[in-house]
Amino acid sequence: MHRHLSEEDAAFKEKIREFFTTAIPEEIRTKAKEGRELTKEDIVTSQRILNEHGYAVPHWPVEYGGQDWTELQRHIWRDEMQAAGVPQPLPFNASMVGPVIAAFGSKELKDRFLPKTASLDIWWCQGFSEPDAGSDLAGLRTTAVKDGEDWIVNGQKTWTTLGQYADWIFALVRTNPEAPKKQQGISFLLIDMTTPGIEVRPIKLIDGGREVNEVFFDNVRVPGDQLVGEENAGWSYAKFLLGNERVGVAPVGMIKRWLAEAKEYAAQVKQGEGVVLDDPLVAARIAELEAEAMALELTVLRVAGNSKDGRPDPASSILKLRGSQLEQDTLELITDIAGPMSLMWSEADGGPVPVWATVSTPRYLNFRKASIYGGSNEVQRGIISGTILGLKG
Amino acid sequence: MDFTIDTEQKALRDAVRELAGSLADNAPSTGDVPVGPNEHDEKAWSALAEMGVLGLTVPEELGGMGATPVELMLAAQELGKARVQSALPEAVLAAALLAELGTEEQKALLEGVSAGETLIVPALHEPMCSFSLQAHDVTATESGDGWALSGTKAPVRYAAAADRLLVTARAGEQTGVFLIEGAQAEGDVVTFDGASAQLVGSLDGAADALQRAVNVATVALLAEALGAMEGALAMTTEYLKSRKQFGVPIMTFQTLTQRAADMYVSVELARSAVQFAAMVAAEDPGATDHIRRARVVVGKAGRHVGQEAIQLHGGIGMTAEYAVGHYTTRLTAIEHTLGDTRQTIGELARTVRDHGAVDVFA
Ligand SMILES: Cc1cc2nc3c(=O)[nH]c(=O)nc-3n(C[C@H](O)[C@H](O)[C@H](O)COP(=O)(O)OP(=O)(O)OC[C@H]3O[C@@H](n4cnc5c(N)ncnc54)[C@H](O)[C@@H]3O)c2cc1C
Repeated sequence: MHRHLSEEDAAFKEKIREFFTTAIPEEIRTKAKEGRELTKEDIVTSQRILNEHGYAVPHWPVEYGGQDWTELQRHIWRDEMQAAGVPQPLPFNASMVGPVIAAFGSKELKDRFLPKTASLDIWWCQGFSEPDAGSDLAGLRTTAVKDGEDWIVNGQKTWTTLGQYADWIFALVRTNPEAPKKQQGISFLLIDMTTPGIEVRPIKLIDGGREVNEVFFDNVRVPGDQLVGEENAGWSYAKFLLGNERVGVAPVGMIKRWLAEAKEYAAQVKQGEGVVLDDPLVAARIAELEAEAMALELTVLRVAGNSKDGRPDPASSILKLRGSQLEQDTLELITDIAGPMSLMWSEADGGPVPVWATVSTPRYLNFRKASIYGGSNEVQRGIISGTILGLKG
Repeated sequence: MDFTIDTEQKALRDAVRELAGSLADNAPSTGDVPVGPNEHDEKAWSALAEMGVLGLTVPEELGGMGATPVELMLAAQELGKARVQSALPEAVLAAALLAELGTEEQKALLEGVSAGETLIVPALHEPMCSFSLQAHDVTATESGDGWALSGTKAPVRYAAAADRLLVTARAGEQTGVFLIEGAQAEGDVVTFDGASAQLVGSLDGAADALQRAVNVATVALLAEALGAMEGALAMTTEYLKSRKQFGVPIMTFQTLTQRAADMYVSVELARSAVQFAAMVAAEDPGATDHIRRARVVVGKAGRHVGQEAIQLHGGIGMTAEYAVGHYTTRLTAIEHTLGDTRQTIGELARTVRDHGAVDVFA
C-alpha cells in the first residue's frame, strides 16, 4: 500500500489537466459547469478534440484509439475531465456500444464502426428499455425476425436518451421467442436511425427538458451484418455493457467540483451580517458530503481495476449506488443554498439572480433520474445482496 | 386538543375539493405540459374567489369570510392534492398584513382581494440573499409625504400579474413594509429606482406584524404541501399495485412496500404538524416557534415523500405527462417559499436555550 502518485503519474496528471483546461473551449466548459443544457454541437466539438488527441476512448483497444494506461491513469483522466467541466465523451459511444463492438464484434464491424464511434461521426443511442421492460430488461418484446439475410424489427423502445440526435441505435431485440429462458432469445442489433419505419417521439421531463424519447419500429429492415456477435447471445453483451456503465457513471470528479462550487455559492449568498456558509448547518452538510465523496473516490480507485475477464466486479454496484446518491445530495444542497432564488427557473444570463441558482431546482429534479437509470438503486442493492452476499431469497 | 372538524368545515372542504378537481381536469396533461413555477391563472383565481377561498381569513367587515387558519388549511390542502398551484399563500400574507396594519384606505383594498379583482403579493426575497424578513439591499427613504424605494426584489412570485406589491425595505436600521402600485416587473424580478410607495403601519410595528402574516400564510403553504404528499402517496400506492415487472406486481418487492410505509409515516406526522399549526395560528398567529417547528416537519416530510414517490415509480415518475413528479416539484418550491427548512432550523436553534420541554398545549 502506498498513497502518493508516482512522478510519472503526477506528470501525467499535470499534462492532462493542462490539456483539458486549454484545448476544450471555455464556453463549453462553463456551460457544462453551470448545469445548462449542452447542444449537440457542444458535445460533438468537445469529443472531436478529445479524440484527435487520443483522450476520447482511452479504455478501448489501442488499435482502435485506446491508450495503454493503467487503471489509475484512467481515473486521473476521468477525474480531471470532470473537474474541468469537459463534457464526458458520449457514454453511448465511448462506454457502451464501443466496448461491446470491440469485445464481441467481427473485424468487419470493428473497422466499420469503431473509428466513427470514437470521433462521434456516428452518434449512438441506447435502445434497451421498453415500456414493460425496465428493471426487468429481459422481458423486452421488440422482435427481430429473419427475412433472407435481413432482420425485420417491430416494437417500441423508450427512455432513449438523446435519441433525437442519434444517427444509430444499438438495440436489444427478441430473436428467439421460444427459448427456454427469456434471456436466451435476445440479440444485439445495430440499426441506422434513418431506416424507413423508425419514428422518434420526445418525452418531456419534469425539469422541462426533452432528453429522452420513445422510439417506434414498424417493419424496420436491418441488414444481417449489423448483428453483433452471435445470434441469441445479446443478453451477455448487455450485461457486459451495463457493468461498464456502472463503473463509468461514478461521477466522482463532478461531485467534487459541485461541492467546491457549492462552497463558493454559499460564501456569496448573504444572510444577516454574514453569508450562508457561516451557517453551521450548511458547513456541516458540506463537510459530511466531502467525507463521503472521499470514500467514494477511494473506493473507485480500489475496485475499478478489479474487472475480470470482461466481467465487471459486482462491487461496481457500489459506485453506481453511492455515486447517484451523492450527486443527488449535492444538488439538493445547492438548491438549499439558493434558498428563495431556487423558486426561479431560467437559463437566461444577465439577471440579478445568477444562473446557478435559477437552474438549481430543475437540475435537482432532473438528477432524480440518476438513481433510476442504468439499473435503479434497488436493482443495484439486489446485485450486492444476491451476488456478493449470497442472499438469494 | 381536538383534531376533528365540524360539519361546516367539512362542507367547505368538500366544496373546495370539487372545485379543485374541476380546475385540475382543465389543466393539460398530455403534450406540452407546463412544468415548474406556474403563471397566474385568472380563471382559476376567479373560481377560488367565487367560492370565498381568497377571502377566508379576511375579516367580514373588510369584505372577507372571517374564517380562521383552520378553514384556510382545509382549502389549501385540497388545492395541493389536486395540484392547483396559485398565489393563495401570497395573497393571504398580503391580506393579513393590510388587515392588521393598513389605513382605512388600504384596508378597503381587501374587498377586491377577496373578490379576486385585486392581486396583492409580498416582495420579500432579494437576489443573493437567504430568506429573511429583514430587507437587505432594498431601501426606502422619505420623500415628501411618502417614501421612495430603491433596489431589486427577486424572486417575487406572481409579480407580473400583481396590481400592488407589499415590499420590505430598509429605512435606516429598521425594515418597513411598503405598498406600491404599478411596479414594473420583468418576470419575477422587480427593480425600484426611487418608486414612490406608502408605508404600511409604522416602522416600529412592521416586524412583528409581518411575522404574524407570514405565519398565517405558512399554514396555507404547509397544508398545500400536505395535500401534495397525500396525492403523491396515493399515486405511488396505486402504482405499486398495478405496475408489473418480472411477471409480478412490483408490490411483491418488500423493499418497495416498506418504503411506501415510511412515506405514510411521514405524511401522518406532517398531518399532525399542519393541523397543529392551523390551530395555533387560529388562536395566536404570533406563536412563531410552533409554526416554525411545523415548517421543519413538513419540509422534511415533503422532501422524503417527493423523492420516494419518483423513485418508486421509476422512469415514469420523471415525466411531465405523469402527475407524480409535479407533486415533487411543488413540494420543492413550497419548501423554499417564505422561508425554508435550513433557515427555519437556524432560527429555532437560536432559541433552544429559552425553554425546557416543548409544550404543545402552551
Ligand atoms: C432520464 C432517463 C434516461 C434513461 N435513458 C435510457 C436510455 O438511453 N436507454 C435505455 O435503454 N433506457 C434508459 N432509461 C431507462 C432506465 O434504464 C429504466 O427507467 C430503469 O431500468 C427502470 O425501469 P422502469 O423505469 O421501467 O422502472 P420499473 O422497473 O418499473 O421500476 C419501478 C420501481 O420498482 C423498482 N423495482 C423494479 N424491480 C425491482 C426488484 N426486482 N426489486 C426491487 N425493486 C424493484 C425500481 O427500482 C423502481 O423503484 C432511462 C431512464 C431515465 C429516467
